[in-house]
Amino acid sequence: MNLDRRQLLYGAGALAGMSLISARAEGAVKLSASAVFASDVPRTLVLLQFSGGNDGLSMVVPFGDDGYNSARRATRVPEKDLLKLDDYRGFHPALTRLRALLDAGKLALVEGAGYPTPIRSHFKSYEVWHTADLRGRAAGEGWIGKLVKAAWPDNRDPNLVVHIGKNVPYSLYSLTHPAASFATPTGYKWAGDESERAALEKGGDVCEHGEKETEREPANNLEYLRKVLRDGQASSEAIRRAALRYRTRTEYDADELAQALRDVAALSVGQVGSRVFSVELSGFDTHSDQKNRHDALMRRLDVSLPTFLADIAGSEVGKNTLVMAFSEFGRRVKENGSGGTDHGVAGPMFVAGEAVKGGLYGKHPSLTKLDDGDLIHTTDFRSVYATLIQSWFGVDATRVLGAKYPLIPLLTA
Amino acid sequence: MKFCCYWLMTLALSASAIAAAGDPKAPSAQKPASTANALPWDARAVEHLLNRAGFGATPAEIDAALGLGREAFLVQLFAGLANDAPAFEIDEPDRPSPAERRALSEEERKKLYQRLRREDTAQLLEYSGWWFDAMAQSHHPLRERMVLFWHGFFTSSAKEVKNGEAMIRQNQLFRQHALGSYADLLHAIVRDPAMLVYLNNTKNTRAAPNENLARELMELFSLGEGHYSEDDVKEAARALTGFQARDAQFVFNRRQHDAGKKTVLGVSGELDADQLVDILLAQDACPRWVAGKLLQHFEGRVPPKERVESYAKFLRANNYRVDAFLKKLFDDPVFYSAEVVGQRIVGPIEFMVANCRRLGVNPPGNVLAAGASLLGQQVFGPPNVKGWDGGRAWITTSTFLQRGNLVGMLLGVTRVEDIFKEDPAMLADDENAADGAMSDEPMGESEPMEPVPKTPPTPGKQKAKNNDLGGGRGVNAGLRMMESSRWRRELDLRERCRACKATSDQAIVDRLASDLLAVELSPEARVALVEYVRGERTSLGIEEGQLLEKKAYGEATLRELGHLILSLPEAQLN
Repeated sequence: MNLDRRQLLYGAGALAGMSLISARAEGAVKLSASAVFASDVPRTLVLLQFSGGNDGLSMVVPFGDDGYNSARRATRVPEKDLLKLDDYRGFHPALTRLRALLDAGKLALVEGAGYPTPIRSHFKSYEVWHTADLRGRAAGEGWIGKLVKAAWPDNRDPNLVVHIGKNVPYSLYSLTHPAASFATPTGYKWAGDESERAALEKGGDVCEHGEKETEREPANNLEYLRKVLRDGQASSEAIRRAALRYRTRTEYDADELAQALRDVAALSVGQVGSRVFSVELSGFDTHSDQKNRHDALMRRLDVSLPTFLADIAGSEVGKNTLVMAFSEFGRRVKENGSGGTDHGVAGPMFVAGEAVKGGLYGKHPSLTKLDDGDLIHTTDFRSVYATLIQSWFGVDATRVLGAKYPLIPLLTA
Repeated sequence: MKFCCYWLMTLALSASAIAAAGDPKAPSAQKPASTANALPWDARAVEHLLNRAGFGATPAEIDAALGLGREAFLVQLFAGLANDAPAFEIDEPDRPSPAERRALSEEERKKLYQRLRREDTAQLLEYSGWWFDAMAQSHHPLRERMVLFWHGFFTSSAKEVKNGEAMIRQNQLFRQHALGSYADLLHAIVRDPAMLVYLNNTKNTRAAPNENLARELMELFSLGEGHYSEDDVKEAARALTGFQARDAQFVFNRRQHDAGKKTVLGVSGELDADQLVDILLAQDACPRWVAGKLLQHFEGRVPPKERVESYAKFLRANNYRVDAFLKKLFDDPVFYSAEVVGQRIVGPIEFMVANCRRLGVNPPGNVLAAGASLLGQQVFGPPNVKGWDGGRAWITTSTFLQRGNLVGMLLGVTRVEDIFKEDPAMLADDENAADGAMSDEPMGESEPMEPVPKTPPTPGKQKAKNNDLGGGRGVNAGLRMMESSRWRRELDLRERCRACKATSDQAIVDRLASDLLAVELSPEARVALVEYVRGERTSLGIEEGQLLEKKAYGEATLRELGHLILSLPEAQLN
């Protein structure tokens, strides 16, 4: 291990600007995915949300369905450009590296994911996907919040659930385990000297009712704030340390999603204690000018996710990481008059990683048999959640989802 | 302690109000004014009112309000002060006529559009600074509070609208109707150019309806989800066809308007947009929706159902007048009850503005705008059409820490460099060793380390200077902008303490905490702060009671204390 690390150190020193660090900090190391060993690594899940309602028909294009060609004009992805999977469907032309993942058996595509009596309201549908409950936020915590409570009730690590991006998604909402969240590890800290930090720590750390940290939900906003402050101080140092020490094995694009995934790799390799990560690719609400906007998003996806998977590939981290991609709804089959599409319902999801049994799952919804102009979902999205909860985390899925959903055999073990 | 008696009083008051409600002959049922008269008019009540109806209160404002008396103060609150800032004059771009445009070459036209775009963006930036100045100067705090409310209610984002002038005009519309009738505003919003662009109504045509505006009009602007059907959305979209915008002006395109018969929420006819709005206003769900949002905003909690119901009835009976609604609210004992006072998590804009006001510093509006944006609330850039979630959603581990940093910058004790520099010990192999290295070598003395580039840099391209990297770029740029903006920090915390003879460590802590916080400090925090002041003082070799005599050390310690106070959980509440 030492030898490995020494080599890594030399590698790090080769980076300009790093000489200062290696010269000053005796024994400094840079960690990459290959330096982490089996015993350390827990199974983790990365949620990748396509925010705004992904037009699944432009991502996995059913060119073999007559319905597609008659419904889509301005937003149609030409058949000749598609990365065909068979004589019915093809990947968007920008998704070459994602296609390679599918071919390599590292990507499981679940088609037609949705839920019964779908809601077209952006926000309500978002809530349904994030709570796994048709009542939306009226049902309480997010589904990850419920998972955390069921799977690791006593784990008080502030980094247990991490969101990298702007707004923390509702799925992570938990009264007892709020997520750590930041746009970037750089500058994720409270600036003050040691005595100031100590004073803030003491001043924010208050014993209410004689119990410091319990399962108890914060009784009011003040208690909530104290908890977040404590978590923030603990989390910020561990996270910056891991991000600083990380050395990537692949070259990440400057794209925001790519950088967020780079941070996910850093925190996984740095073992900061996270079990669930959340990142976002946003801009999918394409009511107009969809072709250009959606094309750009597909390119961003293809430069980001495969780089991340390649970075951790073959390592213990790679073996123990799954990515689940989803969107809060699909879009209408028929275009609107603005070169775009309005809110619809079902769409594809996928799960990627080394533990995945790659291939196609579910069934592509028909484009001719529609419900009021919308696709009819063929798989309840909660089946995918249930599969991850049960088969990946080994937790009884009904405890989290409140009902039983058929599992999908998309994992190798 | 000082608030306890007040709360008890309020509780007693609400109890008598409940008792009165049960008795139809009780005089208070007919004369709500008598309840209002019975409300206490003390510093705490004034501060609460100004925290919620405006952007925090300075000690001088509290004194002035107490001098005026409750009734006169409320009149002033609704009318604003006489010395209001002059209105922002929009500089209309000088757009060439179609003929002039045709005469231009491709290259010239491109240049022209680039220039127009640049000027337009600059003007929006100028306006946003002007708006923050208006909030901070507080000549009409209630109006500014309502403008911000409407901006979060009828959201539009400059990112999608791509026309600064239209965004400014929309804000001026909110200004015009700030305390007027919601009904008027709803009628106006369906012809507001920024809104029409933001929700794609410019593309909503007879031949190809676009439902975006119709849906949000019902879901977010008037009724709430569950009070209309998908068919209502489709039909409403038809009524809105032809409402378009051109160059930040409203245009009605008759040829694109669908004049046919429609049925929305059970009402049929050749409906146009105004008739549609009237149908929405007539629904029972509409006043409930608006009353619920207003109550939530001003009380900082999800309002109890019966409370929404009673305020909704009132709103309907008063033709949706917002001023009448707020007068009723500010006379309502519940608004001053323990469930409301000091329980609300403040949003980034008010955090920035109110803390400047409490500290007595006056940075340019754009500095405040940049700060609020870093904390998750960018004016003219709400995250989506639903606006900001508010409440606990404002507070994440990173925004909480960042709030403290921004206050440090306002006080002049935190530099951007302090936020971004990392100690080389962070790279040490073992955490314990790293901690040791840190204490051996205090942050202040070590050279700032350049953070590691996010991607292995390509030769020649990298030169990782100024930490200006990857996802950190936006944050870094915002902070640097705040730091480089020039303004005079006229801040004398020593004088503030001296004026009230607060010289002991404890008295200093109490004085600043009472000035800077809207809620009382927890005993633990008080002890920690007093300990901090004592520690700093003794390390500088200053006797207790002498700190205020030391110009540089004294002021620096007090500012650091202010930084600590405003970084506490208590500072996020009002």
